[in-house]
Amino acid sequence: MFTDKIELKDFEKTDPEYQDLLKRVLAIQADCEIGGPNLYVKDILPNAPTKLDQLIVARTAAEEMDHFRKMAKLAGDVGVDVSYTLSRPNQERYVEAFRGQITTWEDFAVFGFLVDRVGRFQLEEFIDCTYLPLARVVEDPDIIREEEGHVDFGTNCAAEFAAKGGEFKERVQKAVDFWYVKGLDMFGNSKSYRSERYMHWGLKRRPNAVARQQYKDEIDALILKMGLTLPDPDKGRLYT
Amino acid sequence: MQPAPNTDALDQQFKEFIQALKGAVSSALPHLKDDPKIVDKAIGDCKEILDVVMEGNVKEWLS
Repeated sequence: MFTDKIELKDFEKTDPEYQDLLKRVLAIQADCEIGGPNLYVKDILPNAPTKLDQLIVARTAAEEMDHFRKMAKLAGDVGVDVSYTLSRPNQERYVEAFRGQITTWEDFAVFGFLVDRVGRFQLEEFIDCTYLPLARVVEDPDIIREEEGHVDFGTNCAAEFAAKGGEFKERVQKAVDFWYVKGLDMFGNSKSYRSERYMHWGLKRRPNAVARQQYKDEIDALILKMGLTLPDPDKGRLYT
Repeated sequence: MQPAPNTDALDQQFKEFIQALKGAVSSALPHLKDDPKIVDKAIGDCKEILDVVMEGNVKEWLS
């Protein structure tokens, strides 16, 4: 298990596998950060239910852009230009959950509830990691606090939808059914060799399966509390 | 370690986008109940900025 702490100036001296894994995870993280706004800005900003909601959508996008900026800077400093992620079509994003388009308010809410929550889990993976510039970014309280803000907003909106009952509850259930499996899949393959290597190099803290189960326990309790039905966790999954 | 081209320029450009967006949102929030024109203007500004960002024409931004 690698436990050294690496600064940017020492990066070139590290093992090539360490360099490859760090570059890869920074590119994926940057792609996911900018992938969110690319999913919802076009349709949700102009059509959010109230002007306050429109402003919240804009502020959420600004915060995700700032997370992108921080990841892009870390990637750029180690020689990886991630600017291609700014213009690529959604269908080409690294992570499947970011490959569509969000067109309804309940999908925007559930995206915050379920997918931004995965984002929080992923950022937590890097806390105290061996690459110090990355650890500093995620240990700055802003980034996790902002991600939690998106999660809380989405969770509260989803709960309000569910509490209204009738058609509203059906719509939010449909959104939960759609995003639930995408959220579970975002943790990757449980038997991923790469996941083990990330842990070996101290770049991640938990195996994919452990993080996924912790996430699932958290969201299942919330979905049931909202009076919604738990979707089949195996239906439509790409990774198990 | 040689950084990727335009790393600092892209970082600076994003800081400006983010500052402009957050500024527009902050200017509108206190006026939600008393001045719809200010709010509409801010939402329009946000839309304009985000349209540029979502287009992702990095070469144009940094030229």
